[in-house]
Amino acid sequence: MASLSTSLLTAVQSLDAASGGLQVTNNNIANANTPGYSRQVAILQEATPTTDGSISVGNGVVLEGFQSVRDELVQMRIQQQTQANSGANAQLSSMQQIQPTFTTSTQDIGTEMSALFSSISSLSANPNSSAAGEAVLTAGKNLATAFNTASNTLTSQQSSLNSQVTQDVGQINQLTQQVAALNPQISELNATGQNGGTLLDQQNQLVLSLSALTNVAVTQTPNGVTLTTGNGTPLVMGAQSFTLQTATGSNGMTQVLDQNDSNITTSISSGDLGGTIQTRDQTIPGLLGQLDTLANQFGSAMNAAQAKGFDQSGNAGQNLFNVSSTVAGSAGDISMAITNPSQIAASSDGTSGSTGNLVNLIAVQTTALPAGQAPGNAYANLVYQVGSVTSNATAEAGATASSLLQLNDQLSSVSGVSIDQESANLITYQTAYQAAARVVSTVQALFTITLAMGTAAAE
Amino acid sequence: MRVTNMVPDIQYAMQQSQQALSAALQQVSTGLRVNQPSDDPSASANMVVSLAESASVDQYTSNINSVSPLMQSADSAISAMVTSLNTAITLGTSGATGTASVTNKQDMAAQVEGALSSLIAQANTSFQGVYVFGGSATTTPPFAAASSTYTSAQGSAGSPLASTTALTAGSVTTISDATTGDTMTFKAATGDTIATLSTAIANAVAAGTLSAGTTASINAAGQLAIGTNSSTNGIVVSSNDAPLGSMSAVSGSQVANAYAYVGDSSVNTVQVGNSMNVATSVSGSQMLTSGANVIGSLNGLITALQSGTSTQIATATTAVSTALAYVGQQRIPLDNSISEMSNQESYLGQETLTLTTQQTSLVGANLADAATNLSQAELTNSAVLAAAGKVMPETLLSYLPQ
Repeated sequence: MASLSTSLLTAVQSLDAASGGLQVTNNNIANANTPGYSRQVAILQEATPTTDGSISVGNGVVLEGFQSVRDELVQMRIQQQTQANSGANAQLSSMQQIQPTFTTSTQDIGTEMSALFSSISSLSANPNSSAAGEAVLTAGKNLATAFNTASNTLTSQQSSLNSQVTQDVGQINQLTQQVAALNPQISELNATGQNGGTLLDQQNQLVLSLSALTNVAVTQTPNGVTLTTGNGTPLVMGAQSFTLQTATGSNGMTQVLDQNDSNITTSISSGDLGGTIQTRDQTIPGLLGQLDTLANQFGSAMNAAQAKGFDQSGNAGQNLFNVSSTVAGSAGDISMAITNPSQIAASSDGTSGSTGNLVNLIAVQTTALPAGQAPGNAYANLVYQVGSVTSNATAEAGATASSLLQLNDQLSSVSGVSIDQESANLITYQTAYQAAARVVSTVQALFTITLAMGTAAAE
Repeated sequence: MRVTNMVPDIQYAMQQSQQALSAALQQVSTGLRVNQPSDDPSASANMVVSLAESASVDQYTSNINSVSPLMQSADSAISAMVTSLNTAITLGTSGATGTASVTNKQDMAAQVEGALSSLIAQANTSFQGVYVFGGSATTTPPFAAASSTYTSAQGSAGSPLASTTALTAGSVTTISDATTGDTMTFKAATGDTIATLSTAIANAVAAGTLSAGTTASINAAGQLAIGTNSSTNGIVVSSNDAPLGSMSAVSGSQVANAYAYVGDSSVNTVQVGNSMNVATSVSGSQMLTSGANVIGSLNGLITALQSGTSTQIATATTAVSTALAYVGQQRIPLDNSISEMSNQESYLGQETLTLTTQQTSLVGANLADAATNLSQAELTNSAVLAAAGKVMPETLLSYLPQ
């Protein structure tokens, strides 16, 4: 049966519940801007009523605990989108450094190539001009330098990306260790029926950071979260993390190995590491291959045209460019082979003053190289490829960033802290606390009256 | 949907609007829609090709500007040659009337010699160091006074050259004959000797390249002597063979009015269009020695005026007239080239305009659109900032009692 003592007990439970609500509101407000924080709510439950015959009386409220509000599905999609966004950003960052070399300027390959052919054409109009001959040499050197610069830009970027692979793997190993360390603590809390709360927030944030580095698959198990790479290589299982290794491959590039020393480089497809590897192993080698082919075939074509003529001394034309015997590296080491204008094989018959062979040199400009395109068109194709890869990476980075923003909004709508809502909760719990306190004071007053009643009767 | 924190959205919106503003501003300030390949990969690639075409067109125009004066110079020289030939024809016609005295005819012959000398001077015209009638050999005067005998620098009585003296493989010895108008070029092969050269000369004589009587022998001074053995046939000899040394005319052996062509028969060309080349030089041999043999006709007239009959003078005059007609024919291609270049220059000017238009279309910004985009971007950016300023400070706390 209800009594003042029962009422007092109910009021105290109300005070606890309101106090708990205030505490969780306080915590939410404090962490409103903390990355990865999921808002918490106080779990209040109606206390079991007391039944006396046909009368059932409520016993107030019980503070069951605190619960973080999460949406695992959205969280997973954010991780996936973060992987895609980081991969695209890694590619974009590299291409933005490569692109200026292939942008039309006063020193790009296309401009220098045109300048070389113009200078040769000018020589044909001024065959006895030493200045015109010098201009051909200068234009040839400038073109070789443009090839060298483009090649160096690509190889330097590739080297830089190679270093980035090692750094990314180091960060991945650190993060997987931290994730694994949290697994037992979270499992322990879950086993006792408690909410993972802060620890789970921390772990989610670590997994998100990991997603920014590489593609990971996340699986929830009783022993905590299990993380694997794209090909199923485990990174974290329970309390154990599996360290990734790096080793130099046969191509001189850093390869990523799993705990069994298996090469998993090609299976890393997203995140910063995925984007870095893709740019390093696919995009740049593709561009470099085309550039080397162009330099090698262009230089060889010019040398062949030069060999058809005679220099001013009547000697058969020697090579105009030093070109590697192998295609690989040709753009990096192509250089002008002749140093004197008199060595230009302008003459078609060995007589000084003849410019008959300049036609053959100029014809290289419009003649298809063995790769199938004339030099200018081959370079234009290269420019298209650079622009296309950069443009695609820009679009991908933009699209994933936009998608990520929406997903974060979606997650925030579930897990985020609303200052307005918390302010309202603050008022709610404050009012509840004040009301409960009023009940306590009321019960106390009733107790006093009741005790006074006894005293008055005794007197 | 429950909205908690609008800051990320506002930041994203501000970033997007500022990027759009920056892009619009760049388009307006540069006038370019494409500033880097990723802005429009296809347009960038086409731009590379278009710029190469522009560079070619610019160079073609430059070539025309370089070559036109040279060709005008050649045309002027031919015009002067025509004048010289007309002078000779006038003199020959007068000399053939039968009324001219011997003295007058001698004077006329002297005047024709002057006309020949003038014609040779015109044939040796150079423009900025380029001898326009030398064919592709543009660095030396194409017509040289011929002598009957040339001797080598090497060889002496004490150390004579011999028919067995080896020649340097690859060395070249040329003999230009003023009478035939042809040139024999001997390129020594491994194992060749002076005897081989002598045989080659004999073969050239047999072929008519060199005049009859032209031989090579070792003279009393131990030198190689190449001569015509004639007071009326002249040659010009040159060699770059070290064992022979340079070949020089024997003093006093110069043949009067004899000029040998030391240029070559090929001509230089320059590209003035994608598939258009024009000759930048004229082969003097084709113009003056082969064909109608203009120099030979003048020499014939000189000889006829000096000692011939009226009929012979008339015949020689006719030969000069024929030579004049021939020169006129040779002038036609040159005049055509000058005319073509003029037309081509106009075409290239139009082509430049076309390419510029194409390039503007490829990468240029439509200024009206760009200005509109800029205005729109400014408006959007202002709206985003205004919204951010309006929304961000607003929370429930602003309205609760302090």
